[in-house]
Amino acid sequence: MTKRTGVFVCHCGKNIAATVDVKKVAQELAEDDGVVFSEDYVYMCSDPGQTAVIDAIKDNDLNGMVISCCSPTLHEKTFRDASELGDLNAFQCEIANIREQCAWVHNDMEVATEKALKITRASVRRVQHNQALEPIGVPVTRRALVVGAGIAGIQAALDLTDAGLDVVLVEKQATIGGNMLKLSETFPTLDCSQCILSPKMVSVSKNSKIKLMTESEVESISGFVGNFKVKIKKKAEFVDPELCKLCDDCTPVCPVAVPNEYDVGLTNRRAIHIPFAQAIPASFTLDEEACLGLDPVVCGKCEEVCDVGAIDYDKKPTVTEEEIGAIVVSTGFDLYGMEHMGEFGGGRYPDVLDGLQFERLCSASGATEGHIMRPSDHKVPKEIVFIQCSGSRDPENHCAYCSKICCMYTAKHATLYKHHVPDGQAYIFYIDIRSGGKGYEEFVQRSMENDGVIYLRGRVSRVYEKDGKLKVMGVDTLAGRNIEIDADMVVLAQAMEPSKGTAEIAKILKIGRDKDGFLAEAHPKLKPVESVTAGIYLAGAAQGPKDIPETVSQAGAAASKVIALLSKDQLAHSPTVAKVRDPWCTGCEMCVDACPYDAIALVDGKAHVNEVLCEGCGSCVGVCVRAAIDVKNVTQLQVHEMISAIMA
Amino acid sequence: MAFGKIKEITGEVTINKAWCKGCGFCVHYCPTDALAMSSEYNAKGYHPPFIKSPDDCRDCDFCQSICPEFAIYVTRKAETEENENA
Repeated sequence: MTKRTGVFVCHCGKNIAATVDVKKVAQELAEDDGVVFSEDYVYMCSDPGQTAVIDAIKDNDLNGMVISCCSPTLHEKTFRDASELGDLNAFQCEIANIREQCAWVHNDMEVATEKALKITRASVRRVQHNQALEPIGVPVTRRALVVGAGIAGIQAALDLTDAGLDVVLVEKQATIGGNMLKLSETFPTLDCSQCILSPKMVSVSKNSKIKLMTESEVESISGFVGNFKVKIKKKAEFVDPELCKLCDDCTPVCPVAVPNEYDVGLTNRRAIHIPFAQAIPASFTLDEEACLGLDPVVCGKCEEVCDVGAIDYDKKPTVTEEEIGAIVVSTGFDLYGMEHMGEFGGGRYPDVLDGLQFERLCSASGATEGHIMRPSDHKVPKEIVFIQCSGSRDPENHCAYCSKICCMYTAKHATLYKHHVPDGQAYIFYIDIRSGGKGYEEFVQRSMENDGVIYLRGRVSRVYEKDGKLKVMGVDTLAGRNIEIDADMVVLAQAMEPSKGTAEIAKILKIGRDKDGFLAEAHPKLKPVESVTAGIYLAGAAQGPKDIPETVSQAGAAASKVIALLSKDQLAHSPTVAKVRDPWCTGCEMCVDACPYDAIALVDGKAHVNEVLCEGCGSCVGVCVRAAIDVKNVTQLQVHEMISAIMA
Repeated sequence: MAFGKIKEITGEVTINKAWCKGCGFCVHYCPTDALAMSSEYNAKGYHPPFIKSPDDCRDCDFCQSICPEFAIYVTRKAETEENENA
């Protein structure tokens, strides 16, 4: 039986039409066997375009259809929906990609037109053998995983539980809170960072719907949207948080001292420590790497003094498997390393600090209890230089992108400095001031007008130490002169980069990253919180540099996407799955081993496909020596037809 | 470390070379690698260890615990006692 097939060729404006003779493709295909309707249109995906498709199906009694346009990832769903509206089964509609796979990669119109014809014709021959299919309904696990418990992860987790969902919140560090915990005050309102973050952290710890797993990392993931299985590895819990009374008897006896992450290296901590006084979970923790030795137990002094017996060196890491419906990834940022900034003395001079270290100097809970002092001699700096775009906007040497928050936090730093040291002078070297945001521009203006911060437009070439001062050599491009400042302290507004481990988590979760290493959104404008993998969403600075208000908004958006997804009773799974012809199957199990999704098992000596797990990849088809297995609508016959059409 | 009072605790290692039988346990198990075998001989003809990096000793006393000949012991350096963290 020959099908009544319709062909629709899209111009995509000039995207396709500039390289492919679209009219010729439509006209030539009209002559093909089984093609009863063939037409081209400037924007097939527009409302008139789709209406034309629906009308053509009805008027010509079509039972197969090929849309020759862009990639199926973009509009397969659009046209399959249109197909259903025309009472044609969605799986009788196929996409021939003549944009990404033809028009965009060629210049020669004649050659490109010939190729577009072949691609479309191959799809026409395939559709001849398509069967009508219905999506497979799969149940949904109403439980979400949030990876990374900074402000983004905390907000997403709280929003999700507000909608009645259970949440597993995984954090690599010993406490939740992330980078926001280290900040002193926040721009543009100068409200204390911890005062607005701590209540949210407490809400997380008191929320019975949140399973909080600190010092844990996602190890592997299997399954699919709505039904993920996630293995989470938790580091050995040497200190039992239930028993720890926070008495602090253990730290004085610990003989080692290592840089304290919470104070960005400005203070030390012991191997056994509490990340900071209000840490959540509220417990001491033992840093296995800093400890003198657990296997064999070398030192053992902390266990000796622990009255309640909370310390057990024999604890081992644990791996738990969680059933998850959807995932929010909010793994945050790190500052670009100071060691890269050799010209500014980064990592070389103790009084050259990065932005987060300066936050710790300003913070009441910080290294100096809020007194701004030089790390080298504990004197109050009277002249301070802030260098913006340190590592940002420098494609030759550092990061090409703008880190977005540095203009604002540098203005804040200079303002805070003037509040702490009224007789001091702050200078800011900048390239541009980017203060887009509610109340942001006014804040920068206030720092100039009320606090007398001197803004110098230009870059710094070099910072070096001379007679106990830091000589800053720069240029003021507005005045057209070189500037030399004898500074007591220099603060570098370091670029933001994706946090360490972003590459690994992206690989584990199979989500993409952009050229700068940040997690890639599915569409830069229309899908800003979706990752390219269904059921996995992005929030916060892991997706790109952003400030706290933006991070909180994105976390809320990601949470609402998860809520929408998990509010369905069933999710649709593509029915283009493998099918076994029982009489031909010998039960050799080759396909069982080949299946990357563990979807095939032997039942009564024959291969049996679990349709919910099958992704239709065709690995089983490739290994079956008896040709007993085929993927629906991508059968070996169809593949043969497509190859013949292209080779003809 | 620029601020705060937390410093490493340091110990002073004393080696009784005459008792040492050169088994090397202390050198092998020292968690901070503060010890090494020397090339000198003691009266018994063994190579006793020597203190390679005295500042690295954290007074964990592990060498003292595992020495089969009771030939090594550690005392805490006095000045670090005062530097106990607050």
